[in-house]
Amino acid sequence: MIATSVSHYPKVGNGPGRQRLRQAIAQLDKGAIDRAALDRVADEVTAEVIQEQERAGLDLVTDGQIRWQDPVTYIAGRLEGFELHGLLRWFETNTYYRQPVATGPITWKEPILVRDFLYAREHASSPVKAVLTGPYTIGTLSETRHHQSRRDFVLELAGALNQELKALAEEGPAWIQIDEPAMARNPSVRYPRDFELFGEAMYRLTEGVNQQSRLSLYIYHGDVADYPQVADLPFALIGLDLVQGAANWDLVGSWPDSKAIGLGAVDARNVRLEDPDEVARRIAAVAAREIHVSPSCGLEFLPRETAFQKLELVARAAHAVEART
Amino acid sequence: MNETAQGLRTTSVGSLPKPDYLLHARAQRARNEISQEELDELSRRATQEWIRFQEEIGVDIVVDGEMYRGDMVAYFAENLEGMGISGLVRSYGNRYYKKPIATGDIRRPAPITVDWWKFAQSLTEKPVKGMLTGPYTIADWSFDNHYGSRRDLVMALAEVVRQEAQDLEQAGAEYLQIDEPAVSTRLDELDLVIESMAVVTSGLRAHTITHMCYGRFEEVYPRLLDIPVDQIDLEMANSGLELLEKFGAHPFTKAIGFGVVDVHTHKIESVDEVKKNIRRALDYLRPDQVFIDPDCGLKTRTVDEAKAKLRTIQQARDEVRSELVRA
Ligand SMILES: [Zn+2]
Repeated sequence: MIATSVSHYPKVGNGPGRQRLRQAIAQLDKGAIDRAALDRVADEVTAEVIQEQERAGLDLVTDGQIRWQDPVTYIAGRLEGFELHGLLRWFETNTYYRQPVATGPITWKEPILVRDFLYAREHASSPVKAVLTGPYTIGTLSETRHHQSRRDFVLELAGALNQELKALAEEGPAWIQIDEPAMARNPSVRYPRDFELFGEAMYRLTEGVNQQSRLSLYIYHGDVADYPQVADLPFALIGLDLVQGAANWDLVGSWPDSKAIGLGAVDARNVRLEDPDEVARRIAAVAAREIHVSPSCGLEFLPRETAFQKLELVARAAHAVEART
Repeated sequence: MNETAQGLRTTSVGSLPKPDYLLHARAQRARNEISQEELDELSRRATQEWIRFQEEIGVDIVVDGEMYRGDMVAYFAENLEGMGISGLVRSYGNRYYKKPIATGDIRRPAPITVDWWKFAQSLTEKPVKGMLTGPYTIADWSFDNHYGSRRDLVMALAEVVRQEAQDLEQAGAEYLQIDEPAVSTRLDELDLVIESMAVVTSGLRAHTITHMCYGRFEEVYPRLLDIPVDQIDLEMANSGLELLEKFGAHPFTKAIGFGVVDVHTHKIESVDEVKKNIRRALDYLRPDQVFIDPDCGLKTRTVDEAKAKLRTIQQARDEVRSELVRA
């Protein structure tokens, strides 16, 4: 049983010296430092949050997406064909993303995450997973002024990100994770859900990617219990949100033996700390062959100190179950 | 006055921009460089200036502009037992805020806004609106480390907001506004908003209002009308057209606060533009049903921009009103 985080991690903390990134960005805005100086601070904070995840007891970490403004901009902003427009609400949270607008064909011009992955691996003692927001979510949260249909748009995005996946796979990360929250069923948001298009996009995305890295798909901010065929998609592991998407427990109960599962069993959006024994009890009941345990989604919704406690809880629960089996 | 002349009363949604001297003083207070008394003195001065301005231009129902409040949720959380404040969380870019947390059974140890309301009302003959943040919004914008269910937290907050509303009415408030801007992000929880608002407004004789903004309210219309208040205040300047069209098939049965200027732009609307917006309302609603105001709180505008927008609203209202009387 592997304890892991999902995607992002809080960029600043509340103790002395823990707001360096925030201060550096403010200084850049005032023209007091240059871009390179900010990048150095972002690198330092990245190393820090990697070590923090390891200290919490995780077996598999992310780079915390310290450099990301939001889950969409960092990827879409570096593909050809997008402009970045106004702020929109990210799902039903109190966080925002800048809406990409496609004004031409979407093409991949250069590696987006490879340098970040290499930096993270160099600064981690545990395995690092590369995490990428998927084409279905970017497509759903963007607008296009160029494509004939939503289908054309999403599939073109999938093709562009396929090249990113191939570039990442060259470096051989243990895991490459695709995040697709827009496929979740969430009663508060009205993003169109089209599982057929989603499936097509996932095949296009993963086509011909070097199998040395294992691919995983995480769907959070809701459930996908109405599409049990999600387990058949071309990924080694599917990660599910079991807090906001409690209906996912139905899927977990009938999970195919051949497929690994990610259990987002700890609430990443509220500060209340679950009882680790209770979490352990729930995940111990899952029969899947290979299990990753994590918070329900990225941790940037929480203060840094609470995010750390949530990861400790994930690790404690996962390792308690591991020790018993 | 006949019915037409009485209609189209003007008001504001709630917050108004703080003058520079007050912003400066609040920053000093945060660094403990001045006392709370010194800050309160300046908050009173700013309140007085805004009330005088609203009187001068002829606003019918005035607001204190919330000169003494920071964030609309944190302000209440700070004054309630059983609520605390979290560490920093990011909202976007380099912007961070401290989010309230329910840490125990929520209680209101003392009235929160009543003295400020009394002060504002002492400055004018016009009615001053009592301004509260609704239980659903306080809950949705807070963490919960105690109740364990959204409903339980919302209903606990409804009880303390009810107490505050009762005290404002007792003090003489004729208009009570209970803001629920969080509704628009989770329209699937409208039932919970209705249930908790019923607790807040039950037994009140004052004219009750709720303000909400930037939602696809046409999707929950006419269920929206089940929120137990006398008036629903909505931003109608830049959107709301789809909602307005629904009023044809199912009449809007309450009073409406009808937002006629955008609060997110520096640009000052022309009187003609605002008159057109007011006339749009009159296609579906009686003048006595309609209260004219900006789309939302004006606190993000400069003092001058806010004043210009309020003046424009007032002039547009006066012109539409006299055209109605002549017709
Ligand atoms: Zn508003």
